[in-house]
Amino acid sequence: MAPLKSLQREFPIIDCNFQQFCASHGIYSVEDFLVHDLYSLVASAEQQSSSEELREGISQVISIIGSQHQPWSNGVELLGDAQKNKHVLPTGCEGIDMLLQGGLRVGHVTELVGPSPSGKTQVCLQAASNVAVKFMGVVMFLDTCNSFSPRRMACFINQHFNTPVEEVTQKGLKRVMSSILCQSVFDIFSLLDVLRQLELKLQFQVNTGDCKLRLLIIDSISSLITPILGGNGAHGHSLMIFTGFLLKKLAHEYNISVLVTNHMVCGEGGILKPALGESWKSIPHVRLLLSHDRRSNSYNISILKHPVMVSGRAASFTVYG
Amino acid sequence: MSIKEWINTNESAKEMLERVLTERPFLLLPPLHRVPLRVGNVVEIVGPSPSAKTEILIQAAISCVLPKQWNGVHYGGLERLVMYIDLDCRFDILRLSQSLKLRIMETKRSSDQIDWSREEGLCKYKETKETIADFDEDLFLACMRRFLYVCCYNSFEFLSTLKTLHYQLQKESEAHGVAVHFLMIDSISAFYWIDRASTPLPLGFDKRKSLSLQTVAETVVQEIRKLLQMQPMLVLVTKATLFGDGSLTSNAKRTFRKWHSQDTSYLRTLQLDDQKYLHREYMPSVWQLFITHRILLRVSDEECANAESRSTPIYVSEWLLPSLSFVDKFMVKDAGISMVT
Repeated sequence: MAPLKSLQREFPIIDCNFQQFCASHGIYSVEDFLVHDLYSLVASAEQQSSSEELREGISQVISIIGSQHQPWSNGVELLGDAQKNKHVLPTGCEGIDMLLQGGLRVGHVTELVGPSPSGKTQVCLQAASNVAVKFMGVVMFLDTCNSFSPRRMACFINQHFNTPVEEVTQKGLKRVMSSILCQSVFDIFSLLDVLRQLELKLQFQVNTGDCKLRLLIIDSISSLITPILGGNGAHGHSLMIFTGFLLKKLAHEYNISVLVTNHMVCGEGGILKPALGESWKSIPHVRLLLSHDRRSNSYNISILKHPVMVSGRAASFTVYG
Repeated sequence: MSIKEWINTNESAKEMLERVLTERPFLLLPPLHRVPLRVGNVVEIVGPSPSAKTEILIQAAISCVLPKQWNGVHYGGLERLVMYIDLDCRFDILRLSQSLKLRIMETKRSSDQIDWSREEGLCKYKETKETIADFDEDLFLACMRRFLYVCCYNSFEFLSTLKTLHYQLQKESEAHGVAVHFLMIDSISAFYWIDRASTPLPLGFDKRKSLSLQTVAETVVQEIRKLLQMQPMLVLVTKATLFGDGSLTSNAKRTFRKWHSQDTSYLRTLQLDDQKYLHREYMPSVWQLFITHRILLRVSDEECANAESRSTPIYVSEWLLPSLSFVDKFMVKDAGISMVT
């Protein structure tokens, strides 16, 4: 938040006199205003000689504070935004799409949890190929454990094209593959860097309206966060929650669907539970549990948490190819 | 004032009760219905994720935005505004709208059935049936407009929202003509780790306060207290149990129960442990002293098998403040929360 000195040019009411008055109360920036009792500040301003200007300065800072948070909206506006912008992106796996009543919802952070191997990367690749082909949108795949396979991706994409002609398939394949951006990240700080750059790019792209990002996949986010958790310090958890909020903001403000994968750890009593602990549970909108049945070569998926649907619902699907 | 006037009564008890009950109505919402909640109370709903905390807020919001009566149908709502501050940023408007629609339709249907049984003549019943669709849409939109929402992505935005909440309240009250009854915060523990990790740097100035967990909590309590003085509201706050609980998790208990299903004595000890469920308090003491009521939720080990052979989870609620000795069980259905006896 800006120090008061820098606001002087834009808002001449915040002059040296006002800054001195604020400094006497220990206020040097807009952030300090947030933790101070504004009513007692106004009361002490009344006792000064230039009380009128000081009060105007305080109300100017309050209006700056008012512009710092998201605007209030009512239920009708929210519903309109949800119906207009927050569509559903089918993943291409019938079982998942039926379970989630359409697929991955734009604006949601969806988490896939499962022991390895349980097909999490396969689901991610299939969802990426489906979105790239059907919706002509850009997919960003952040790979943390070298699980992205271009050959497997091409295999999924070729299933969508039924033409036997070799050249057409090659050109179509090239076009689709070029809209899937893959980037390797190996630690949490480079992930935050990538997400910040993405946010800046999206802020500028809002007006141009060209081929927009539709799906952001992070496979797997737990391998970035698990090394920094642990111990009694709060910094690891703080970074995890900060990343989670950044993902939620990207998903909601820029109308993207975010898909992250998580592995499982051994809990009490020998039961497997999702990694990343209790605090992570409140980050994703939707949590899905994936498991692989080797005998029938099918995958089972069930809902751990969903804002609308009851948890415990399950479905099964097979991955072809 | 003469001595005689001082002794004479101002109003009878009946008149006082009438006045107080209309100004500050009691609310009975399951599963919060055990304790009478009035404006000025700050209720903390604690539970692990997921345990239907947001669902309770949604149902309370629906009860508040519905009108008491609309076109001859009694809905029993308060027809007041709800302000919802979403710190988790996970609120799904579709759940609210779905639940509201179902509640409107169910109430309308049950009252239509009563009307139909009273009036003889199919033509009158047909008339009311045709006009159902028009009425529902207007009522639905009017109710949705009374639900006000903001989402905050960090503590700065949350504090900014609280500082300017008073002006927003006044503006919205004037625009709608009704006062705000609920202030909902979901959930107060969202920025706990981020605030805790931002250790206050020694800035060299004695008076300067920096944003840390303690100062944020103090400011939040201060702002809400001031707000309640000017506009009395019922504050519902959810909180996640970030540190889990000391006892076995419910998953482990369920498996143990399956393994030892023949051993009834083991089951009995498990049930005893159930009742000693504690949660670890991590919010600063200024916040703990501010809340007036606390209710603890968790998922129960039993599951209710319903018609489609899908098991619906059953939730257990227990009042910690005021401390009641029994627990309630409830389920979440599409239309809302229903108690399980």
